[in-house]
Amino acid sequence: MNTAPDDTLLSAWIDGELPPERRAEVESWLRDHPDDAARVRAWTADARSLRSALDPVLDEAVPAPLTQTVWRKGPVVMPNLAWARWAAALALFVLGGAVGAALTWRLQPAPAGSAVLASGGGWVQRAAVAHSVYVPEVRHPVEVKAQEEHLSRWLTRRLDVPVKLFDLREQGFELIGGRLLPDAAGPSAQLMYQAVTPPGAVGASAKPERVTVYLRKPDDATPAAFRYERQGELGLFYWVEGKSANSGPTGYALVGALPRDKLLALAEAIYRQDPSRP
Amino acid sequence: MDAPTAFRQQLLGVIPRLRRYARSLVFDSHAADDLVQTALERALAHWHQFDQRRDILVWTISIAHNAYMDDRRRHARASLIERSDGFDPDASQPAAPTDIGLQLDLAKALGRLSLEQREALLLVTLEQLSYAECAEALRIPIGTVMSRVSRARIALRALLDGKDAMPPAGTLRRVI
Repeated sequence: MNTAPDDTLLSAWIDGELPPERRAEVESWLRDHPDDAARVRAWTADARSLRSALDPVLDEAVPAPLTQTVWRKGPVVMPNLAWARWAAALALFVLGGAVGAALTWRLQPAPAGSAVLASGGGWVQRAAVAHSVYVPEVRHPVEVKAQEEHLSRWLTRRLDVPVKLFDLREQGFELIGGRLLPDAAGPSAQLMYQAVTPPGAVGASAKPERVTVYLRKPDDATPAAFRYERQGELGLFYWVEGKSANSGPTGYALVGALPRDKLLALAEAIYRQDPSRP
Repeated sequence: MDAPTAFRQQLLGVIPRLRRYARSLVFDSHAADDLVQTALERALAHWHQFDQRRDILVWTISIAHNAYMDDRRRHARASLIERSDGFDPDASQPAAPTDIGLQLDLAKALGRLSLEQREALLLVTLEQLSYAECAEALRIPIGTVMSRVSRARIALRALLDGKDAMPPAGTLRRVI
């Protein structure tokens, strides 16, 4: 080799990345040029000290949370995406709150709205708003579809209360799926059901009938009996299931634009299927 | 669909090396394990995209690299302190270099390399990836790997020699 190999070439030689003929050229150059050879030796020594400094990490016990992450089943909620999702949900919620507030204010004779707030607390209102926001959704009514088997596990884990996917087919409603929502004190869940259209009734109604079940960890563990509220066209049944042997207290709100008796039938079906019930 | 057991076992196998790589990037052991955790979560979420003919270490390192870059971008957005050219000697300065038992000067010098050089150097010398694998993990051409590694070696040696001869990151980056 007549011209000096540049540093890139010397470096690639260290890493064994040169084809045989270039390798031989570099080696003969280094034999004749002790300064370059010394530089290459220093680089190799630096790599060695890097390795000896960091190799002990390989022998450390793997922290349990990392192993658990690998074995965790169910959907992976990635932190950064989770944030984006929360922000989006919150934005929708604020928007929905404004819309909902405007609606109740317009549709309601004054005392009804405040009665809800007084009796069920703000969460019942939030259940109603969440219903109004998501039920008209055509493309994304739910976050996770009912077919995905992890839906119940996911919501249970996030809510810290058992979330059972109630079967309302006998009452003519089929589960579409669910979503996680922010509530005042923590996450809440919404399950959405849609009326099963009898075959042949295609096009009978452009908007399928939908009801939502809103679940949350209640502020108060005291069981509360069924209550019914009407907000314009929306009917709401809500109650709190007390703590039982296998589950903590859970607050439920069933929301739907249905006549009271039809909604009550659904509420009763849910009440009977409650996971805390023996 | 959940990731199959065989895939999870493969992931378990690379954790030690992912941890070493993360530690060499962020120094602090907790921050490094957070990065590994994020990489594992992303790998699990995208397990079906993994081509079994590829090396899972290279694939997961690539994921960890992206996660780290996302992190830095978020950090950059969050604080106006970081310079717009993406090189912030303060941010890349190890927070707790003694944590890994790195000699202080080695950690310090490593922390002063630009991120591009540091990553290339670590993947090739520490993880002993080939230039082709390194290029795949960082999604850059092989020629770029080659020049970054060589510049990183020169810069690291200069820093360890006490010659703080490293030109400003801006000029260095243009050459690459």
